[in-house]
Amino acid sequence: MASTVQEPALPDAPPEPKGSKVAHEESSGVWYPKWYWPSFAGPATIWLAIFFILPLYVVLSVAFGTSDPIFGAPLPVYEPWYWSSSSFVHVIGRFFGAAAFWQPALLRTFVFVFLASLLCLLIGFPVAYYVARYGGKHKGLYLLLLVAPFWISYLMRIFAWQSLLTSDGIVNSILRILHIAPNPIDWLSGKPITVILALVYGYIPYLILPVYAGIDRMNVSLLEAGRDLGASPWQTFRRVTLPQSKQAILAGLVIVSLPMFGDYYTNDLMGSPKTSMFGNLIDKTITQQGQGPRAGSLVLILMVILLIPMAYYLRSTRRAAEGEA
Amino acid sequence: MSEIAIERGAERSTERGSGLGRWLRNPWRRPVFLAGFTWAYLAWSILPVLIAILFSFNAGRSRSVWQGFSMRWWTGDPNDALFHDPALRQAIVQSLRLSFITMIIAVPLGTMFAIALDRWHGRPAKTANFGMLFSFVMPEIILGVSLYLLFTNLFKGFVHLGTGAQLLGLITFQLSYPVIIVRARLLTIGPEYEEAAMDLGATPGQALWRALLPLLFPAIFASFAITFADTIDDFVTVNYLASTAASQPLSVKIYSAARGSPTPAVNAAATFMLISTMMAIGVGFLIYRVFSRGQRSGEAGAGVTDFVNA
Amino acid sequence: MPSPTERRFSRRQFLYRAAGAAVAVPTLSAILAACAKPGQLPSGVTLLEPARQDRPVTLPLYGREPIATDAPLEEGATLQIYNWDSYLYKKTLKEFTAKYGVNIEYTTYNNMEEGIQKISTGQIKPDVFWTDIDKINKLVMAKLLQPLNHDLIPNLEKNVWPVYQNPFYDQHWRYTVPYVTWTTGVGYRRDHIDDAEVAAKGYDILWDPQYNGKVSIYDDYRTALGMSLLKNGIYDLNTGSEADLKLAADDLVRLLDATNARVSINASYSAFPADEIWLSQAWSGDMVGDQYYLPKGVPTSVLGYWYPKERNGEVNNDTMVIPASAQHPVAAHTFINFMLDKKYAFENFADWVGYQPPQNSINPTELVADGVVPKTIPEAVVRQDDFKKGHLLLELNRDTDQLWFDAWDQVTSGG
Repeated sequence: MASTVQEPALPDAPPEPKGSKVAHEESSGVWYPKWYWPSFAGPATIWLAIFFILPLYVVLSVAFGTSDPIFGAPLPVYEPWYWSSSSFVHVIGRFFGAAAFWQPALLRTFVFVFLASLLCLLIGFPVAYYVARYGGKHKGLYLLLLVAPFWISYLMRIFAWQSLLTSDGIVNSILRILHIAPNPIDWLSGKPITVILALVYGYIPYLILPVYAGIDRMNVSLLEAGRDLGASPWQTFRRVTLPQSKQAILAGLVIVSLPMFGDYYTNDLMGSPKTSMFGNLIDKTITQQGQGPRAGSLVLILMVILLIPMAYYLRSTRRAAEGEA
Repeated sequence: MSEIAIERGAERSTERGSGLGRWLRNPWRRPVFLAGFTWAYLAWSILPVLIAILFSFNAGRSRSVWQGFSMRWWTGDPNDALFHDPALRQAIVQSLRLSFITMIIAVPLGTMFAIALDRWHGRPAKTANFGMLFSFVMPEIILGVSLYLLFTNLFKGFVHLGTGAQLLGLITFQLSYPVIIVRARLLTIGPEYEEAAMDLGATPGQALWRALLPLLFPAIFASFAITFADTIDDFVTVNYLASTAASQPLSVKIYSAARGSPTPAVNAAATFMLISTMMAIGVGFLIYRVFSRGQRSGEAGAGVTDFVNA
Repeated sequence: MPSPTERRFSRRQFLYRAAGAAVAVPTLSAILAACAKPGQLPSGVTLLEPARQDRPVTLPLYGREPIATDAPLEEGATLQIYNWDSYLYKKTLKEFTAKYGVNIEYTTYNNMEEGIQKISTGQIKPDVFWTDIDKINKLVMAKLLQPLNHDLIPNLEKNVWPVYQNPFYDQHWRYTVPYVTWTTGVGYRRDHIDDAEVAAKGYDILWDPQYNGKVSIYDDYRTALGMSLLKNGIYDLNTGSEADLKLAADDLVRLLDATNARVSINASYSAFPADEIWLSQAWSGDMVGDQYYLPKGVPTSVLGYWYPKERNGEVNNDTMVIPASAQHPVAAHTFINFMLDKKYAFENFADWVGYQPPQNSINPTELVADGVVPKTIPEAVVRQDDFKKGHLLLELNRDTDQLWFDAWDQVTSGG
């Protein structure tokens, strides 16, 4: 390791000459040479650049590229000045044009994600609240049970539900015994409710944990103050708890709803082509011959749809962090 | 919520109104509804999986109608049982292989990145941070498809689809987990330890290695465990980047079977995966407890909360 | 037909592109690809018209000759076979090794596009490859196949049906030999559905709402739409008519609505024998093979197969080819000849694959009597004149293919 320790980092040290490699990290207060942290970040950054950023550029090149004349395999065009927007325009046309038979899938995705996220919040928030505030001695146990779904494969959890929802499955048996539904209901034949509930089931742990963490960090004395001053439980909740946990709720919603937009396997296992989501459109086109540019355009559109909530979330996180500091 | 406040509330509730109404209005009462709701949720969350595990021991072929207990799908049936089906066995090996290699590459890479992001405050750091967060919430299908297109076009001669490509994709996808976990821990560790070490004559490298890293061990082990568990469950990336049947891990086999006509052998396979994940988590947790003995607070259950919050 | 994009590339632009590619991609193959003017056919290659029965195609040789007749057999080598999973009987392969002293390595692909892609990038260099008819033109244009030496495959002329002897899709058998044939009909469970009912309704029975949740169609755009066309009395299974395709697509949407049909490629041999599906669009070979997929104790009499009485449904065959990059071409020819031998072709069919090879020695009427084909599915036997009366799914040009994709998209995206 370099034993070249530079001059002391006094806060009011004279400015170094331009271009000098000798510098200090004022923020951390310790002596690290200027190249130190960048070199730490280097490997991961290069990795992300090659395997995350570059593929996105390839997607652009495929979306605006052409296809092989013989087999129809996608032929990416890497120079932006040769990009052809015909495929992209065609895809937009499928969503909004005359023969817009992809539009139902797009709308359906928004509806499913909205409803599923809402349900995740309505179910998950009370659970997170209870465990954070009233968990007490058993908090560890609660947390273990809440975190357990992370370690159980998503596919296995959905697969488990698939067995329960068959015509001769346990759910139909229970409904029959309770006289709610004497005839077996065909849950797996493309019912939106099945897919929405499956999404909720699959993604809700991703909401509960951040919300729990947020409520856990909340200042409890404020709540007690509110109650001491005579506010009803509901008023305390609305005026003290909710504003304080807003950031955590937002984080949970983002972590849940963004991946849901790209979900396709939940519908594959629990739904049917009638309940196709945006992810299914991508999945179908990427595996078909000659559809490369269309698949690229779809991925592009999905990214654009997600950039907006993502940017909003990042900005509000940073603002909240600055507010707290 | 303090226990004292609740007891105080019990006393206060004797003040006015009828029994039920009074009880409902009492702001200090024990939250029975919430408790019930929470337990109902936990049951809804865990029961289906327990039932699926149970059905892997079903004597018949059905996954929904119980036909008696049997080990047939685990070891009994000479053709279809989990341990007799070479395709399923190979899939398990592939799952474990992918998870293990991803874990040992992603965690060090991510840890270094986290330390750098925490200490380095330049503009590029913010961009790198944004990129990393973006990769965290992005739907996996975008990553899977874009990597598929990358490997079949730009890197056509270099990287063939299969285990190599799957590893590259998985590491990329999992990179953000160690970063987030380690960074969260770093936020609670100030620079004092390294400062002290450097004051005592350590070089920057030694300060990092001997002062900071041991403090990070809990977070690093948590990262190992979580990355392993998450990779074993991964489906989208490995599916797009797979080539022959040999490179299809268990998650892909479960998916294909679930879309066809699955037998309880699939339940057995999924249960097996679950057990190995639990074991990995268990090992990670034990190591975490051993290493953080000096740092843990005395509260019971705090170990788990720390582990989870790590 | 090249698109406007493809026509744009001039010489000057191709230099820019080569430079751009050199910067972006440090691989020789990418640079070569850039120099080859993207979106253009390889040099010396003109676009071949899709083959039709009334428009036979003689595939060009591009100046290549088949291997010499007296080339020695590569004994002790390992023949690379690249095929679908479970499409060749392992016992037959062992017999080949015993007879000729050549080992066999069997690699599988999940779908044909993947297989072709691996061959074209050189990732896999198989000696024998299997392909459907509609891919042959493409493989030849991409120069991925080598012409066959017929002196090394005498069984072709000797044993194979006359109707194949100069097929329209490959006149003079330049590149291909036939592997197996099949028809596409409707498989049904006789323990739940009456023969008479199926015979009366034909394709319509898949649309019958009383079988809600018990129906499946193939997850293949040509096969599924083809059936819908036939059901509506349209017999041109390679039509480019948008109106026809829209009609077929709308009808399939109606099918999905009426019966919540499963769209799956394997239902006919997994969910169907498991009794989860009662009505399945099925290939005849899958039906014959189903006798081995039925659970223990279930008799083969539960299997039923319907194909139009006039034998004018969908019929097809696939082929064996030798890739240009084959490392052991003599062994490859020997293998093909071996598979065309009546004894081994029959063994492969009867004991494993279930798909029928077009062998003269196989007497369709005897197949049922001998128990090779379960006696409740006599329609599953393919006869020679099925190829005269039936309709094949053949290659489409790019624009027509796109129309078919669009129609299928409409069906599968819940639109």
